[in-house]
Amino acid sequence: MTLMPPFRCLRPATAAEAARLLADHPGAVPLAGGTDLLVNLRRGLGTPPALVDLGAIAGFAAIAEEGEGLRLGAGLTLADLAENPAIRARHPALANAALAVAGPTHRASATLGGNLCQDTRCVFYNQSEWWREGNNWCLKYRGSNCHVVPKNDRCYATYHGDVAPVLMVLGAEAEIVGPQGMRRQPVAGLFRESGADHLTLAPGDVLTAILLPPQAGWVAGYAKLRVRESVDFPLAGIACAVQRDGDRLAGLRMAITGTNSAPLAVVADLAGADWDDAAAQVLVAAIRKTANVLKTTSVGPKYRRRVLLAAARRLADDLWRQAAP
Amino acid sequence: MSIRRLEKVRAGAVGVRTPLIDGVEKVTGRAAYTADLPAPGALVGRVLRSPLPHARILSVDVSAALALDGVAAVCTGEDCAVPFGVLPIAENEFPLARGKVRYRGDPVAAVAAVDEETAERAVRLIRVEYEKLPAYFDARKAMAPGAVPLHDDKPNNVLREVHNEFGDAEAGFAAADLVREKSFRFAEVNHAHMELNATLAQYDPERGHLTLHTTTQVPYYVHLKVASCLEMDPSNLRVVKPFLGGGFGARTEALHHEIIAALLARKAGGTVRLLQSREETFIAHRGRPDTDIRIKLGMTREGKLTACHAEVIQRGGAYAGYGIITILYSGALLHGLYHLPAIKHDGWRVYTNTPPCGAMRGHGTVDARAAFEALMNEMAEELGLDPFAVRRANLLPTVPYTTAYAQKVLSYGLPECLDKVLKASGWTERRGRMPKGRGLGLACSHFVSGTSTPKHWTGEPHATVNLKLDFDGGITILTGAADIGQGSNTMVAQVVGEVLGVHWRRLRVVSADSALTPKDNGSYSSRVTFMVGNAGIHAAQELRAVLAKAAAAKLDCRPEDVECVDEVFRVAGGQDPGVAFSEVVKAALVDTGTLTVKGTFTCPPEFQGDKKIRGSAIGATMGFCYAAQVVEASVDEITGKVTVHKVWVAVDVGRALNPLAVEGQIQGGVWMGMGQALCEETRFDEGRMLHGNLLDYRVPTMLDSPDMEVFIVESIDPNGPFGAKEASEGMLSGFLPALMDAVHEAAAIRPTALPLTPDRVVELLDARGDRP
Repeated sequence: MTLMPPFRCLRPATAAEAARLLADHPGAVPLAGGTDLLVNLRRGLGTPPALVDLGAIAGFAAIAEEGEGLRLGAGLTLADLAENPAIRARHPALANAALAVAGPTHRASATLGGNLCQDTRCVFYNQSEWWREGNNWCLKYRGSNCHVVPKNDRCYATYHGDVAPVLMVLGAEAEIVGPQGMRRQPVAGLFRESGADHLTLAPGDVLTAILLPPQAGWVAGYAKLRVRESVDFPLAGIACAVQRDGDRLAGLRMAITGTNSAPLAVVADLAGADWDDAAAQVLVAAIRKTANVLKTTSVGPKYRRRVLLAAARRLADDLWRQAAP
Repeated sequence: MSIRRLEKVRAGAVGVRTPLIDGVEKVTGRAAYTADLPAPGALVGRVLRSPLPHARILSVDVSAALALDGVAAVCTGEDCAVPFGVLPIAENEFPLARGKVRYRGDPVAAVAAVDEETAERAVRLIRVEYEKLPAYFDARKAMAPGAVPLHDDKPNNVLREVHNEFGDAEAGFAAADLVREKSFRFAEVNHAHMELNATLAQYDPERGHLTLHTTTQVPYYVHLKVASCLEMDPSNLRVVKPFLGGGFGARTEALHHEIIAALLARKAGGTVRLLQSREETFIAHRGRPDTDIRIKLGMTREGKLTACHAEVIQRGGAYAGYGIITILYSGALLHGLYHLPAIKHDGWRVYTNTPPCGAMRGHGTVDARAAFEALMNEMAEELGLDPFAVRRANLLPTVPYTTAYAQKVLSYGLPECLDKVLKASGWTERRGRMPKGRGLGLACSHFVSGTSTPKHWTGEPHATVNLKLDFDGGITILTGAADIGQGSNTMVAQVVGEVLGVHWRRLRVVSADSALTPKDNGSYSSRVTFMVGNAGIHAAQELRAVLAKAAAAKLDCRPEDVECVDEVFRVAGGQDPGVAFSEVVKAALVDTGTLTVKGTFTCPPEFQGDKKIRGSAIGATMGFCYAAQVVEASVDEITGKVTVHKVWVAVDVGRALNPLAVEGQIQGGVWMGMGQALCEETRFDEGRMLHGNLLDYRVPTMLDSPDMEVFIVESIDPNGPFGAKEASEGMLSGFLPALMDAVHEAAAIRPTALPLTPDRVVELLDARGDRP
């Protein structure tokens, strides 16, 4: 219905070539499954001169054993992630998070890398061009006012990816190929908390793979809060991993999504503590300190804030029980 | 097995589960919808819409757009000075705004250009100067003293006030052992039909003829309004409804895009394809209004209702549309479900600066019924009575029955519906003993089988069907009825085939093309099966009489002794080999040639309301569909999420002409009620639509959809075609209060606002006061 803007479509055969094309074409953006990018382009959210289609890169959708861990190609579809027996067996929380994304037709083409690098979202941004123009645009795109936080210091659009927080609590690393070659960094390092500029990838950087370390002794899970059981983005999402040592917590990692402009780790030093009300209170306080839920979705922030805390507590309780020796 | 028994198992016969006659095209993708129709060289239409919810238009400058290469036509309010609206007494909408815009999205100008890109650029070149006016997004604010009127003829922004009382409500409340009064708020909902709005307008400048292919449930109304707005002779217009991807009431009146496409095509002197986006389809709206209801019921200790008083305020949006009918319906169907000695109804239909509301499945009755049943359940609990017992205490005492609103009830399967769902749901054993967090709820509901009074008083029959039988022995059924997916083409073929005793494959249905088919008022108010079905039967009887005469000559008997079973004509009850259908057709065509016959149907005046009761033409019908349903649901105490696990629904449809289609309609009706009850709602932020897409307008997904057990109850209505009544609207409203009651058992909360989204439920759980 709404016209796609004109762009060149480039289809490199290697990650290095993709990196070079992205660097050589200022403003070019990578395309994988297209379920986020193409929808946005049709709504007039961006006019990139070129799309670099990563679909032809050899091994882009491969799963491989690497040392004790797994290397997941960034081109794996979410359906692959949800159904792959090795992932289901070793990282059920990741498979479940992938399964929780959108609907089956989206998951058939949406990719792991695309899901991680998806754009941030906001009720004032994910609208038609006519709608946004009538609202005097917004700070994220073409405007100078933020309609969410009127002080206009930055864009507060929210990151709603389901997969990133799970990878963060699993201690995953991202493999990036850029003009200077390949590097690896923790998944959390892909993001910064700035709605209009939330990815740390530099022009020319291509996310090529995710590296998952073994999860000996850890039990992980993902809780997604939403109105419908399918299609919806998370109103808030919580990933948690628990390592239990008898009646004490040996470790707890948590990350949240759908609350801030980036998926964020929740820092609560509970190692060695008993998992009891007091510990839970410490965890809840840490989430409250980390989360910054604003009016970026059609469901109001009050509910999202409140249920984020309650659902995080329930998830941690469940994982604690699952981790029982 | 007799010949007649064999006939009964064959698809197409009345009462046999029959796949829709046009189903193959749909499931294979061969069906061409309006946007799919080939139209080489068609211009692209595009609409410029108001960015403001309420403003005076100071100027519209289209000169730059007109000057753009590739632009064929630009239209503004100047191009059409005739207002339109579905009710002759309330036509106040212009296809392109004149003088004022009244909601965000109101069309202001439109462009036809050689391609989408040019059309888009041209729209951006149009300059409009506005003077902002105060805008109202809430009915009470729009009604408040001092509010600026949207329309000059309604200074208080009230399109229609209704005040009716039947019986003595005060006396009824005084006689009650328990009187309760409660307010409910129902969010506005939209039909969310799958196929987007679209019109293909082909203008022949030499002849001045216009052909429209359009996404409508009412080709006849579109025909009237387009001819009127374009000031054309209606004979120069042809309106065709191709395959349609749903309607649910959204398309029961001519919509602005249809008239705009026609204006553009005429001005451009060619063909214009005007496709609407999902957002524009939401803007055209015509959904169920945001409704405030204060309801008061009186009940005896035994559960007998003594009186009801409903005060209903509907936020109607910017134009009249069906508004007067919608507010009347909110009172009209307080009657007819139970025996009620006194009913008082006060209603206000209010103009607001939001997209215009209209008809939506269960038109006007849903929210009032939901509030009524919810309070009934609450009072039952207070009196220590079972919800089923309370329903049984209030059943119509005798049938035939005439309501205080002059509606006639000649068939009433509600008691059997109650029996079915009571048993199937295990209510007696399970209600009150559900596991923690789970509950069961019951409610009843009903709806008309077509409104008995047409919107335009022409004196014509209410339905007409033509049949053509030619040399090839094929029978073509010509009907103006718009098949919108509900299966009306299949239905009319079934009744015609049944009367004639011919095979399903001999029949062909041509529908909804004004050049070929007889006029039909359209697919709304569940009128088609009842009225077109009866007209189809009449037409088939006419044709049968002709064939019987020809057969009688061959069989050497009287025509009235001839019967046709399985395409063989015999003397009724005889054992002779008979005469084949094709032979009889040949004989019948001698001297006359092609046979064409007509059947009609008109609702008799006694079913058209009582002239002494103002407004009683609305809700007047020849028969009500009745439904009872039990809903099983759970509530997550942490997230506030309500999950529906199972629905048992029993519906009195009179006679299921096609049980397969009826089952589908019942499931769809329940499911649509579930959408409204669980998660669907429109949302505006200072008039800005936040729900203009299928992510934010939350129609339930397959994963949210429960198992449904459907029971068809056949009360055999004396006037329905083969006893059939309405089968797709009556069950919708019952879902809402049944879910509310299930949620009460599950979590001890009594919702007063729908939908039951997690945020609303969490508020209720918090207010319960026993949470950590």
